[in-house]
Amino acid sequence: MSLENPFQDPLRFERRVPECAMVIFGANGDLTKRKLLPALYRLAYERRLDAGFAVLGISRTAMTDDQFREKMLASVKEFLEDSPFDADVWTAFAQGIFYMAGNFDDAALFPALDARLKAIEAARHTGGNVLFYLSAQPSQYIPIAQGIAAANVGKGSGWRRIVIEKPFGHDLASAQKLSTELHSAFEESEVYRIDHYLGKETVQNILALRFGNGIFEPLWNRRYVNHVQITAAESIGVEGRGAYYQEAGALRDMIQNHLSQVLATIAMEPSATFRPNSVRDERSKLLRSIRVMKPDEVLQNTVSGQYGPAHIGGEDVPGFRQEPGVKPDAQTDTYAAVTFFVDNWRWAGVPFYLRSGKHLPKRVTEIAIQFNAAPLAIFNGDETTTAPNLLILRIQPEEGISLKFLSKRPGTGMKLRPVSMDFNYGSSFGERSPSAYETLLLDAIIGDATLYTRQDMVEASWAVVDAIQHVWDETKFEFPNYAAGTWGPKAADDMLARHGHVWRQP
Amino acid sequence: MGAAGGTIAPDRILHDMADLWVTLGKQGEGDAGVLRACSMTLVVAAEESDDAQAIGETLAALMPEHPSRAIVIRFRAEGERGLSARVFAQCWMPFGHRQQICCEQIEIAASDASLPDLAAVVLPLTVPDLPVILWCRSPRLFHLPAFSLLASIAQKVVLDSAAFSDAATVLYRMNEISGALASGHWLADLSWTRLTRWRELIAQIFENRAQLANLPTVSDILISHRAAATPATAYYLGAWLIEGLAQAGAHARVQFRSDGGEPAWRLSLVELRAQGSADAIASIALAEGHAAEVRTGGLVSKALLPALTDYALMREELAIPGRDPVFERALAAAAKLALS
Repeated sequence: MSLENPFQDPLRFERRVPECAMVIFGANGDLTKRKLLPALYRLAYERRLDAGFAVLGISRTAMTDDQFREKMLASVKEFLEDSPFDADVWTAFAQGIFYMAGNFDDAALFPALDARLKAIEAARHTGGNVLFYLSAQPSQYIPIAQGIAAANVGKGSGWRRIVIEKPFGHDLASAQKLSTELHSAFEESEVYRIDHYLGKETVQNILALRFGNGIFEPLWNRRYVNHVQITAAESIGVEGRGAYYQEAGALRDMIQNHLSQVLATIAMEPSATFRPNSVRDERSKLLRSIRVMKPDEVLQNTVSGQYGPAHIGGEDVPGFRQEPGVKPDAQTDTYAAVTFFVDNWRWAGVPFYLRSGKHLPKRVTEIAIQFNAAPLAIFNGDETTTAPNLLILRIQPEEGISLKFLSKRPGTGMKLRPVSMDFNYGSSFGERSPSAYETLLLDAIIGDATLYTRQDMVEASWAVVDAIQHVWDETKFEFPNYAAGTWGPKAADDMLARHGHVWRQP
Repeated sequence: MGAAGGTIAPDRILHDMADLWVTLGKQGEGDAGVLRACSMTLVVAAEESDDAQAIGETLAALMPEHPSRAIVIRFRAEGERGLSARVFAQCWMPFGHRQQICCEQIEIAASDASLPDLAAVVLPLTVPDLPVILWCRSPRLFHLPAFSLLASIAQKVVLDSAAFSDAATVLYRMNEISGALASGHWLADLSWTRLTRWRELIAQIFENRAQLANLPTVSDILISHRAAATPATAYYLGAWLIEGLAQAGAHARVQFRSDGGEPAWRLSLVELRAQGSADAIASIALAEGHAAEVRTGGLVSKALLPALTDYALMREELAIPGRDPVFERALAAAAKLALS
């Protein structure tokens, strides 16, 4: 019988973290500097990592271990949000940071990587456990997977896992090809597709709200829910990423992954247990229940938008087509709104409106669940006396939950007014919330894939999005169709109006 | 309201609290109003001479994470039987919000002689359906015969054995009380809470399979502390380690050593050794400031072990409103170890 650590105290300690080495492909890139290393340092600061935890960075640039450590130190200091920096903790953590230069297309890189990992395993007692992290350009995912498979680095004396960042392909066919290549080196259970939205505290709190309480679930169906709005708005434009964004667009960049996953979390059936595959099975089932639009339904149920120039706060804001690297006749959607229907017994007939856009009035991500109005208006008064109940789940920037309901106005007479009952995550729990990357990296090291996306989920959401994208690709839109700083094209309001609904202004 | 030598009516206090919310509601900006937050009743029993400002600051810091109705009872040893009370609110404005969040606070002044009357006053003031936690800041109160009446209202009573002069006696007494508590009532000790970071570091060392394999070979535990006499924290840690090692098949001896210095309860070193081995299997040594040096398997890493404030300790305890079986086992073992 294997020996268990007798010193664990789950009531007071954080989760158990095994020893491991983490290999970052694309170690010189923005994601590593801005998110990964600050998150890892923070985990070390919080004593969450094994003493021998090691990071091996790989990118094309020639650097020594020390030069890489210096570079990462500067990044951690610059991008460490809401956290103090401690030089002693860094010095000890940095002893486990290593670097090797290499080209991901070069087959010789991977045997060299294998040898380096063995040396690190011996020096740092990492037990042969390796977490590979693809922080490289998406076009390099397949060469890396092929290199790992050819050199058999995907197998070893401990566990091996690989984390990949979106996009998981640019359509269903490319997503399937990417998976096939990854599966040549890793089992599906070893592939961790990261969607940082699922790592956000409030998205996880949706599960707690729905399945930890008895009062919401009975209302969570077509009998009581009128419709659901999911909004992910950004107040900024493409910020120098015009060339990349031109090939992606809001539908692929946001709705195919983040918002579909949020929708799945909101609408999924309760899972039998809180084990990774049990939760992911339910998410996957829900995604497969989203009705795939026929070509003639697409333009009725979707809106593609692109921002034009505007004058905001005394400043001239360029339109998307005026952004650097963007073609002057680009047909890219910087705004996408979609009406989805979920074809199952729980949700039949309930519209789920998803929208995401750049250069909208404010940065906000929220889910608004609108319940049916009371069946009979017995109180005389204006329209406010029949205002429907709303449950708002705010994901960012102010994480929290609000319930709007009617209450009697103080005084004589029976006048009602809507009031809001608020739960603010940040102010109700003063503790600093871990960043999405801290949560997700730790999950990957521990082997908890609950918040990661599985291949069948990716394929299900691509099937839905591909049907829309094909029609959009064949359509010539009159862009720009909304001014930067507004809530998107008028057509998006019309789309809801056809169902008798209006967008909530977050 | 009320006066020394007088009495107080819980209904009156509740009425004053209702008025307080009306007043706060009127003060709210526009329609924003105030938000009332409450997740428990926190009763603080303190001496009149205890630092009122420090208690207030600790409660204010705890409120955002553990919003509570706080009932602070300040005792004076002398004086006739009498109680007095006042109510007020602790409010804060979360960054970037227009709406204030407020918690209620009731302050009661009492003499030792009025302790038997207090339970009848405090019970109606507790928030229905939410846990009641009693934080006893004074060893003297703990020893008063009528204290058990007040303690019986609470699901959890939090003490600090570091405040008692004789660690062995208080551990024995606490273990006795803990064993006699009715179902649904628990005891906690801030001396145990102070050890969480030490214990977590030790547990993390043995998450590594190579280190875990060494565990059955541990024969000696060395714990260094600052106090001249062995403090409760050292007994707790020693007992917890012995228990854990026994589970792994190791029968280890513990040795306590005094390094001198302040604060008395602070530990400075814990070391696990195998018989006849020159190097420790694992050691954690407090270095300069709050940094600790963790040595294991030839690797050295650094961790921060800051001295924990009342706020940090209570924050951890308030997050555990129910039973803590690891603490209960450690308390029983520490009491036995201290008396051996």
